[in-house]
Amino acid sequence: MAELAADQHVRYIVTVEKKKDSFESLVMEHIRLNGAYWGLTTLDLLHKLHAVGAAEVVDWIMSCYHPESGGFGGNVGHDPHVLYTLSAVQVLCLFDRLDVLDIDKVADYVAGLQNEDGSFSGDVWGEVDTRFSYIALCTLSLLHRLHKINMQKAVDFVVSCKNLDGGFGAMPGGESHAGQIFCCVGALAITGSLHHIDRDLLGWWLCERQCKDGGLNGRPEKLADVCYSWWVLSSLIMIDRVHWIDKEKLTKFILNCQDKETGGISDRPDNAVDIYHTYFGVAGLSLMEYPGVKPMDPAYALPLDVVNRIFLRK
Amino acid sequence: MEQEDGSAAAAAEQPAGGAEEQLAGDLLHHFERVLYSDPLIDEVGFLHPTQFNSLGCGQDGDSAPQDSELQRRYFWCRDHKLAISAEILPELYRAARDAYYSSRNAPLPPTHLMSHTKALLVLCPDLLTAWNSRKRVLSKEYDFTKLKDELQLCALILSYSPKNESTWSHRRWVLKQLAEHHQDMAELVEKESVLVKELAERSKMNYRAWRHRCWLIPYMTRKQVLDELKKSTRWSELHVADNCCFHYRRSLLLALLDSRLENREDSLCWESETYLLWKEELRWNEMLIRRYQGRESLWNHRRFLSLWWIQQLLAVEETCSSMTSQVDLFITQEICLLSECLNDPADEFEESHAQGELSALYILWISKQVPAVNGKLKEGLHSVSIRGLKDMLVRACRPEKTRLWMNVLSLADPSQ
Repeated sequence: MAELAADQHVRYIVTVEKKKDSFESLVMEHIRLNGAYWGLTTLDLLHKLHAVGAAEVVDWIMSCYHPESGGFGGNVGHDPHVLYTLSAVQVLCLFDRLDVLDIDKVADYVAGLQNEDGSFSGDVWGEVDTRFSYIALCTLSLLHRLHKINMQKAVDFVVSCKNLDGGFGAMPGGESHAGQIFCCVGALAITGSLHHIDRDLLGWWLCERQCKDGGLNGRPEKLADVCYSWWVLSSLIMIDRVHWIDKEKLTKFILNCQDKETGGISDRPDNAVDIYHTYFGVAGLSLMEYPGVKPMDPAYALPLDVVNRIFLRK
Repeated sequence: MEQEDGSAAAAAEQPAGGAEEQLAGDLLHHFERVLYSDPLIDEVGFLHPTQFNSLGCGQDGDSAPQDSELQRRYFWCRDHKLAISAEILPELYRAARDAYYSSRNAPLPPTHLMSHTKALLVLCPDLLTAWNSRKRVLSKEYDFTKLKDELQLCALILSYSPKNESTWSHRRWVLKQLAEHHQDMAELVEKESVLVKELAERSKMNYRAWRHRCWLIPYMTRKQVLDELKKSTRWSELHVADNCCFHYRRSLLLALLDSRLENREDSLCWESETYLLWKEELRWNEMLIRRYQGRESLWNHRRFLSLWWIQQLLAVEETCSSMTSQVDLFITQEICLLSECLNDPADEFEESHAQGELSALYILWISKQVPAVNGKLKEGLHSVSIRGLKDMLVRACRPEKTRLWMNVLSLADPSQ
């Protein structure tokens, strides 16, 4: 079997930051904070977080902070949103630098976005999505501030997005989607509410995502894509059904999506690599205990040692 | 349409800088001018310079005489179709971004901000912050026309970026503003539904587009829900691999069940109407299953339909027993379907294998979801010479599926 080209991936991540002039890079600059999370978590999983300067990263992250609201923008000068606030908190966790935050201010920002029905808006403009429920719960939990919200209502809303096939969608009645399922299962795991899930039914739906080529897709009739290695596997682990899929074939699929010369992982074999799929590929391998890759926490989407540091130190 | 020519903004705010900045500023000025002068643009293409040149820009003399050389070289707009030469995209994007940033906090009329954000979002619709700036301007006072223009801008962007999350989200925000001031949403909802249908045509299994359509359901009347069901039938038949449209039908069916509860007076009549609809949906789905072999989305739809159907039949039989059990009849039909799918002449095509596998997993699914019918299922299997669920799965499934069904089977019955 092919092997993980870890050194090349590290080099790819470290240099991707320097190619900023193409139109493709320009139109990504608004989600740079998400990019930082994907790239830096991958480096940490590969034991190479020290390849970047922590102080420089932390300074830049704080330059995306909005002290009035307590949220983070996707880059300097961009409006705050929970999507970037979680990424900021996660990256600070990687570097063990939560001390730079006004923790209550950030937690108040997130908690303030909870709606009457328990759902969360992504920002002040009110779009609701189960992704935002996960993000809010994950952020608050990492900051030890879950008590700031109505947890019962938050859980009830997530449960109201469950479908008859056992999966979850973006909103009540939304189609089941592996990414949304991760968010809902993660939200329930973080709040200790996994008993709301029919594990066998959901496990079945998730296992049907494994395609003939060994890769996982995100919905019925779609092609396999490396990113679902993470969304599906982490969900299966949280509901204790990961032994229902063929890990060997999935590992092979991910490894076949590597660019072994210049590094990086793509969505499918022979496609162009990007930082997003590089992260999800390595994270998927981590969940399958691939040698040389740090184990990852399936709910918090951070290396296990980082999560342990946060919850055991308290 | 914006009230005044906002494109003048780009010209007025140009920073004094080098030739390069001057060029970028000019480009933006022309771009905003094009967008302003044709508010009905419904398609945008970013073309490679050679492709762009082949459009024969400016040569047939139909561009306005005041169009500058610059405008003709990089922009082309006719019949509400806009083409932009890809070679200037980075400069144009930077110019639009910088103009947006500097106008954000400047004491300028909002038309400047609207003009710059429009230019910027056409180039990069992901920019949440730019959408937010527009929301801020639009929420100052309710203006029906401006909100309708906003829907037009979103539709334009979705025409070439049909999966763009920020644009869909902005569209929902606009619709919510309209709904707050507008009692009758019927016409709007109908237009939205058509938009999704058209986009879904070009962008298969587009989760975000279909999510938008599902999001509209609570705004629909019962009659609209019924119409939507009817109207999406043909579309679904032509897109049997698109799980999204079948999910949409499921959501519509569930909405009908809900509205039945809300309107108790006519519940009996509606109950029978929904009952008939469900029966028809089952028949229609079976017809599609037979016509299009091995389609996961069709079998998933059947799982959903049968589950509710069996539960209803069981509930009815609990209260009033009749001579022939409707549940028995239904199970017999389903076993018949399974048997046909398994015994399809083994051909070289993968579809018939997939069909057999999906039919077996369907029966397994029913047996796990409604354990009450397990006895009947087993009887049925015996009647077509299958010794039980395990035998059925061994016959039907590829070896790589073994792990899954072995695990599922062992749950209820360790002896299997």
